Amino acid sequence: MMLARVADSLYWIGRYVERAEHLCRLSDVMLNATLDRTEAASQATRIVLAAVGDTEGARAASPYELAFALALNREDGGSITSSLALARENARQVRDQITTETWERLNLLYLRVTGPEAPKAFADSPSTFLHEIIADLHLFKGAADATMSHGEGWRFLLLGVYLERAQLVGRLLGVCFGDGRRRPLDDHMALMSVLRMSCGLEPYLRRFTADIQPRKILEFLLLDEEFPRSIRFATARIEEHLSATARYVDAAGHAGPERLAGRLRARLQYADMDELDVAGAGALISTVLDECAALHQAIYDTFVAYSLEMRLPA
Amino acid sequence: MATAQRPDEAAAFSPAELAQAPVAYDEMLAALGDVRPHYAALDRRIATLASAEMSERQRTLERFFLLQGITFTVYGGESSTERIIPTDLLPRIIPAAEWAKIEAGLTQRLRALNMFLSDIYGDQQILMDGVVPRELVLGAPSYRREMQNLYVPHQAYANVCGSDLIRQPDGAFAVLEDNLRVPSGVSYMLANREASRRTFPGTFRAAGVRAIDRYPDLLLATLKGMAADWRPNPQIVVLTPGVYNSAYYEHAYLARLMGCPLVEGRDLVVHDNMVYMRTTTGLRRIDVIYRRVDDDFIDPLTFRRDSGLGVAGLFNVYRAGNVVICNAPGTGVADDKAVYAYVPAIIRYYLGEDAILPNIETYLCREASQLQHVLGNLDKLVVKAVGASGGYGMLIGPHASQKEREDFADAIKADPANYIAQPTIQLSTAPCLIDGVIEPRHVDLRPFILSGEKIVVTPGALTRVALRKGSLVVNSSQGGGSKDTWILEDTADEEMAS
Repeated sequence: MMLARVADSLYWIGRYVERAEHLCRLSDVMLNATLDRTEAASQATRIVLAAVGDTEGARAASPYELAFALALNREDGGSITSSLALARENARQVRDQITTETWERLNLLYLRVTGPEAPKAFADSPSTFLHEIIADLHLFKGAADATMSHGEGWRFLLLGVYLERAQLVGRLLGVCFGDGRRRPLDDHMALMSVLRMSCGLEPYLRRFTADIQPRKILEFLLLDEEFPRSIRFATARIEEHLSATARYVDAAGHAGPERLAGRLRARLQYADMDELDVAGAGALISTVLDECAALHQAIYDTFVAYSLEMRLPA
Repeated sequence: MATAQRPDEAAAFSPAELAQAPVAYDEMLAALGDVRPHYAALDRRIATLASAEMSERQRTLERFFLLQGITFTVYGGESSTERIIPTDLLPRIIPAAEWAKIEAGLTQRLRALNMFLSDIYGDQQILMDGVVPRELVLGAPSYRREMQNLYVPHQAYANVCGSDLIRQPDGAFAVLEDNLRVPSGVSYMLANREASRRTFPGTFRAAGVRAIDRYPDLLLATLKGMAADWRPNPQIVVLTPGVYNSAYYEHAYLARLMGCPLVEGRDLVVHDNMVYMRTTTGLRRIDVIYRRVDDDFIDPLTFRRDSGLGVAGLFNVYRAGNVVICNAPGTGVADDKAVYAYVPAIIRYYLGEDAILPNIETYLCREASQLQHVLGNLDKLVVKAVGASGGYGMLIGPHASQKEREDFADAIKADPANYIAQPTIQLSTAPCLIDGVIEPRHVDLRPFILSGEKIVVTPGALTRVALRKGSLVVNSSQGGGSKDTWILEDTADEEMAS
């Protein structure tokens, strides 16, 4: 049992920290790729723009300017700094529910990225700046794992993390392989960038060796059972956390999100690999994204914004 | 090497003012500059530290507060900044014997004030006996007619009280005001302690300082005790106005340390004369609300209609006896600045005892004769608006300009009942680290008293500091800060001296 508002805040902390981490990785990979004057460099920039939802391309901006804005622009609600500020603001609102160790990690990170030295630190070395944020976010997640009770609150935090992750990876795949108007990505360097953006290069190499192919990347990021950033993995965790929270919740009304999560997990678990071809991936990816959105809505309706009429004591 | 400066060197008064104002008592230095025995160990420790080292420790301290998020946020435009309430490195030390008297005095005072509230909201015997003027109480804006004849367990209306004490030039403590509504600052008392244990670990250990870490569980026990006779295992919550409130850190801190949910008005629902909170598993009944929201805002149906911070219908639930609200609504009538003047009489009336801790002499402008005295002596007095707090609506005569005094005189004449006056007291001074140098600054003392089944005074306090040189205003909204307060164990006094 916990306050509905608190569960909502914890869920959003999870979403925002995951978003910040993903954006750091996108920016970093893009900046790195654009050091070379190759086809892959312009592809990387296009992928990042599309993945952050900016398809128009205000794009006279150089990759550096784009990365700078993505990192530090407070006016852009989707920037890394904004995401961290929102995560921290949510944490402040549930300060009594998270451990001091967890809070300190997030607060420290917030103070650093919003502090007066941040722009200079970014300018000195964007890569170091972004890597430190990623490392701090790992510390945050580690502190949450190691110090918070693995009860309802912790599960809502992780629900946020995994649902955000499934959607971010889904969007990345959609941009690379699911856009019917474009030829799917096939440049070797660009494909490597996609794996780096999803933090999956090394695990991919271990599974498939350096045989980098679009179909295998799709399989890996969509369907791999063990890679923590595959959508299947994320969905399985979502289902786990939802069925665990069922222990705390009256059965009524809870079927919604749990059923949706189970269906999505099964869809990915039993997908027929032989039928998964790159040309037809778009349909599956958009189904996955639609179901993630429905899952988000169902979680909100069931745990947070439920109708009082249904819950009044007899 | 850092050395303590004599208090009179730092006081920013003109010679004329010094002639009329007795020199402030200094917490550390006696008249001839001798270090008082209970400060000896700290003084020796300070003497070994270079100024730069002190400043370094001060920065570490501030860093600790920032990291913990013990901050208030200044919102402005697109950006917001985090500020910490200034915290001073050097603890203020109070010997056991002095504390014993403070503790006895506060216990006595709280007993009498709770009896007074119970009487005022009951038979009003004290008004019939003419001890306190009827119109003073019933006409006070903080008097809540809605509380009349409501049962309050143990007669404990003011479950949490933070009284402000000051030390007069002769060294005696007196009560400057009581805070019986939603006193704050206890988290600073606890955080200052945590910080000073890190800053002066050796001195702290040697000093024999009484522990204050039990405050959260004593508070929890007090709140539990308020429901003891009808709910053996009550659901207790802390009600906060929300994250934008300047004391939000404290609300979250207490909720966390008590293990109670921190709720906002929007989390609560009243149904069928019960109050519930919205949880992930549906509605859950609440039995005790430790509210950090002012009376006016707790229930828009009963009090202020425009309040979005409270819960519609909450007061009816309270009236029906289905929830306990702590502190009880309406306690403000007992810390009203005009009623304050009658507290010694109130103590005598209910307990048949003289007040252990004296009041500061107070002139009520509502009385014609006292009004004349006040208007004739504005340059010597501190005048306060009865309804205001936090250092607002206040004139410090000796520090004010002629123009300010004239303007205030007009305001007093327009509404005399709204003003009281007190002589300008030279608050005691304590050594503080100011820009790397130790200088005396004026301080007060806010101990916290819990009352439920019994009355408990926590052996610690928030010492508030007027950081501006010569200033007598310690409120954080007016440039005040705070420092840790060490109450020494009984046996520790002599050891400190040795």
